[in-house]
Amino acid sequence: MTTTTVSFGERLRSGRRSSTASMVFTAVLWACMAIICAFLFFVLFTIIQQGVARLDGNLLDRQPSQIRPETAGVQSALFGTLWVIGLTAVIAVPLGIAAAVYLEEYADPKRWYNRLIELNIQNLAAVPTIIYGILVLAFVVRGPLSVGAVVLAGGVALALLILPVIIITTREALRAVPEEIRAGSLALGATPWQTTWKQVLPAAISGIATGTILSLSRAIGEAAPLILVGATTFITFNPDGVFSRYTTLPVQIYTLVPEDRDAYRDLAYATILLLIIVLLAMNAIAIWLRNRYQRRW
Amino acid sequence: MTRAEHDTVTPADKDATGEIAQPPGHVEVWRGNEHSPVEGAPDGVITLKDLEVYYGDFRAVTDVNVQFGSKEITALIGPSGCGKSTVLRCLNRMNDLVPGARVVGTVAYHGVDIYGPDVDVIEVRRRVGMVFQKPNPFPKSIYDNVAYGPRVTGMKVDSMDELVERALRGAALWDEVKDKLKQNAFGLSGGQQQRLCIARAIATSPEVILMDEPCSALDPIATAKIEDLMAELAKTYTIIIVTHNMQQAARVSQRTGFFTAEADEMGHRTGRLVEFDTTEHIFGNPSDERTEAYITGRFG
Repeated sequence: MTTTTVSFGERLRSGRRSSTASMVFTAVLWACMAIICAFLFFVLFTIIQQGVARLDGNLLDRQPSQIRPETAGVQSALFGTLWVIGLTAVIAVPLGIAAAVYLEEYADPKRWYNRLIELNIQNLAAVPTIIYGILVLAFVVRGPLSVGAVVLAGGVALALLILPVIIITTREALRAVPEEIRAGSLALGATPWQTTWKQVLPAAISGIATGTILSLSRAIGEAAPLILVGATTFITFNPDGVFSRYTTLPVQIYTLVPEDRDAYRDLAYATILLLIIVLLAMNAIAIWLRNRYQRRW
Repeated sequence: MTRAEHDTVTPADKDATGEIAQPPGHVEVWRGNEHSPVEGAPDGVITLKDLEVYYGDFRAVTDVNVQFGSKEITALIGPSGCGKSTVLRCLNRMNDLVPGARVVGTVAYHGVDIYGPDVDVIEVRRRVGMVFQKPNPFPKSIYDNVAYGPRVTGMKVDSMDELVERALRGAALWDEVKDKLKQNAFGLSGGQQQRLCIARAIATSPEVILMDEPCSALDPIATAKIEDLMAELAKTYTIIIVTHNMQQAARVSQRTGFFTAEADEMGHRTGRLVEFDTTEHIFGNPSDERTEAYITGRFG
């Protein structure tokens, strides 16, 4: 009897059979984390170190200058970015949410055209950004609309770029709303529209807001499509409307970096830092929104 | 204390004294419940004729013919997969939400086939309310949960505050929540949430309330409260309840329908209504041997 008890107890205590393998695995995971973090912090550190000197009032106050880069700023690019991203949001957010609501709440997934739309949206999210630039260049800047290289064209290009992402994240947020909420609302005599508008969308708002802000902050950093649609590289005035010519922070950085004078390079680092600050601010808002309106079911 | 004596006080008063009518799980043997026994045939406020429900090609339930009586509690019992919930969900057309669901036969409410071509499904659901298996309050305040139905259906109300209070009193919840109407409904306990769902359902003044295993997610004390509440509600409303708990069916209902599912030669299981009679008859002296086998626990 006693021996059985002892061996049983020993078996219980010797439970950590593969402790070596588990430790190795944990170490590998930690190493991966460390590499990623080291890389990230190195980049951040370099940018801060090089850029903080020129992150001053002049950067925000003054316009780009080729004569005195030491005291020049990027105000036109900052305002251009705000204009373009504002317009992007105005175009992409309502369209994207509406499309997601249709696909998630109304569309019959068995219909071939709904499946086709769905497949295309998945594919569009993977299309290189430059393609959107070419598209807008051909159809908006020139071609049928011919609006020229103005804020509107940049906004349309970025809106097209993030539309699939907004649709996909919004659909995920809608899908996370439990079916019981819809059933409960419909069982009380609410119409599908009332159910969507008064129950499903409010319940999904945090997911929708988070996805939207994150995709907007992705759009803010885009240079490639904007260069194609003519975010002109040297602009010394702030845009005053959607038909104004413009430049943006990433495009400004793109032109500053290859210059060989130190003053330009310092300005480029400061501009990168400014862009990162804008990005971090947007991500912070996204996190705050997510926590503020988070729901547990 | 019997339920009959309790019927003279409102559920809200009962809660104020903190009393529960009877300890939970107290029914061991069917001895009849305290409601006056029902005589004669039900009046058929909802009548099912040759009802068949398909999910895609799968025939979930067939050959259901039944008349429900108004201001009675009718229990639908049977083993899992026998189609009792499917039948319940036909009565306010909630099966419409299931892709591929198809209903054959008639579901007549006051003689009108609610699956008829010009029937307004919104109006059907306003008159035939529903309480679900899992408490599903909206992520809103207690007040807004109750006011939601009247608001979306455009009910003309003199005072929404009064309506909310009346509905919460009707669901025996008022005394517990009157000081926190603006708080989120998710802060309530499971049993309170389910009573909130009942309050929400009666706020639109329905005639019929469908309950789909309303107590299966609740503890015995919360269950006892809901059962007391059902007895109270049956004075005003027609209640049809699906339950897995046979004691519950015996305790609360006046009539009971027993469903079962039998596999055909192809192996497809289709639910059928085996027997429908007074609860007394079903639990005391069932006519069908399958009912008897199920009631006595030999099957299912």
